[in-house]
Formats: sequence, C-alpha cells, structure tokens
Amino acid sequence: MSGDLVLLALMVGAANWAFRALPTILLRREPQPGGILSRFLAATGPAAIATLFAASILPQLYPAPKELVPLAAGVAATVLGFLPRRSVVAATLCGALAYGLAFAALG
Amino acid sequence: MTAISDGAGTQDPGFGQGLRAALPIVLGYLPIAFSFGVAATQSGLTPAEAVMLSLVIYAGASQFLALALVTSGAPLLVAAFTLIAMNLRHVLYGPALMKQAGASASRRHAWAWAWGLTDEVFGQALGALARGRRFSEPYMFGLGLAAYASWVIGTGLGAVAGGGALDGWPAVQAGLGFMLAALFLALLLSILSRALLPVVAAAILACVLGTIFWSGTAGILLGMVAGALTGVLRR
Repeated sequence: MSGDLVLLALMVGAANWAFRALPTILLRREPQPGGILSRFLAATGPAAIATLFAASILPQLYPAPKELVPLAAGVAATVLGFLPRRSVVAATLCGALAYGLAFAALG
Repeated sequence: MTAISDGAGTQDPGFGQGLRAALPIVLGYLPIAFSFGVAATQSGLTPAEAVMLSLVIYAGASQFLALALVTSGAPLLVAAFTLIAMNLRHVLYGPALMKQAGASASRRHAWAWAWGLTDEVFGQALGALARGRRFSEPYMFGLGLAAYASWVIGTGLGAVAGGGALDGWPAVQAGLGFMLAALFLALLLSILSRALLPVVAAAILACVLGTIFWSGTAGILLGMVAGALTGVLRR
C-alpha cells in the first residue's frame, strides 16, 4: 500500500473527523433563544437539505438537460409517496422505483 | 410502530431504529461506493487501497477527487488541502443538529457518532427531529454505522467486481442513482413549512448560481450559507 496515499487519507480523514465532531463536542453552550447564532443554526439544517437536493438534481438539468421524464417521474413519485404517511423511507423508495421504471419504459 | 416507520416516538429511539432509518441512505450509498471502488481500481489503486480510502476519509466527493489528484501526481499537501476544503460545510452540521435536539441532549459519545455525520446522515437525523422524534445517541450510532458500513462494503464490492457488474441492468442502475436525490427531496418535504420557504428558496437559488458560475462544491457551500443567513434576517 502506498505510504503517500495512506498519509493523504489520514490527513483528510482527521480533518473530516474534526469538522464533524469537534463543533459538536466543543460548542456546548446553548445559543441565546432568538439570537443571531440561534437563528443561523436553526436555518442551517433546512438550508443544507434544500441545497443538497438542488445539487443532486442539477447535473441532470445543467448544462444539458438529460433524462427529464425519469426525473419528473421520480420527483412526482417521491412527493406522492410522502403524502399518505409522511414517511421519508417510503417516499425515497417510491421515487427511486418510479425513476427506474420510467427509465426502463423509455428504453 | 411498523418495521420501517420513521415517525415520532415518545421514548428515546434506539440503535435498531437508527439502523432501520438508514435504509434509504444504505440503498443510495451502495451504488455510489461501488462506483468509487471501480474507479479506484481503474485508476491503478489496489482493492485494499480503495477500501482504506473509504474507511479513513469517508466522504464521497472528496474520494473521487482524491483519485484524480493522486493519478495526476498533485503534491501531497496540495491534494490534502483541496480535499479538506471540500468538506468545510460539515462544521455546521453538529451544532445545527444539537440546536434542534435541545439543551438536554447527551453528546457524551459525540466523538464517535459524529464521525458519521455525512450530508445524508445529518439530513436524516435532522428530519427525524423535525418530525418529533427525540434525540438519542444510540439512534445516531445505528444511523451512522449502517451508512458507514454500506459505504465501505460498497467500495470493496466495486473494487473486487470491477466495472460492468450492473451494465446489464441499466434501469436498476438509474433508479439507484436517483436514490439520494429522492432522499433529500423527502427530507425537505418532511421539514418544510411556510416560515422556511425563504430559507429554502435562497439556498436553492444560491446553490444553482454558485454551481453555474463557480463549481459544484462552491454551489453547495454558498447555498447553505445563503439559506442560513436568510434565516438570520427573518423574524
């Protein structure tokens, strides 16, 4: 195994652990309710999820649109799968299934 | 509660519930990790090196970029700095999760479970809290461990099987490829409220503009920061 590759992995892995764990461990004081930090952190989660959804479908829309019908079917099925029980698991599986079926139907 | 129910509960959710909640993440991670294993061996790495990268780095986009940097002969420190910068957004995940979990939430073992706070695990954990589920460290361990294991196992399978394993099943490949997008959309639906619409709109707009005019990584960072700042501005 390449020593340089192991060293690279250890440096990046250590930084990833620090990014994920240290703020959780060190920032123990509850931000003042209604304060700037509190509002920032409360909005970070929804902003991250919205961003990651946009980032995950953007490659299919830009620079050249591709597989738009499976994408539309997948999005619609995810929404419809979510509505009855508000289940994230069911919605995700419905969306992926519909995407795959639409892809297969288009040949 | 059904086997894969992910609704609210009155007791602290346990390790097993975390494992079950990870199902869509596992199904999404396996094909991506498999692709990474294939790409790594095609780039000249051994299967053991491919699995080592997934075990030690555990960040998808960084790992694919690591292959490009390593094969292009980039200096070690330049490669490390580039890969580290890609994951800076993770700094916000722990505090945002603990803010939602409340002041009484235990973080005694956060040094271990927080390693698993990838984009998808963070989103799933936050979505569960937003739907009324209580925070618990065993749940975080279950959620994180299933995702981590699927990432490492998927890499190993891809590295050993090589390319072409799913070539005869393009529809399955396509459906699995949409899994993470569907997960993020479902999570977005689970936390969406009228009050959050400006945050969501600002995040998506900034992500799209950042991606078009800069890069995918910049788009993600800009989207998160723009959405969070919009949350600061609204009353």
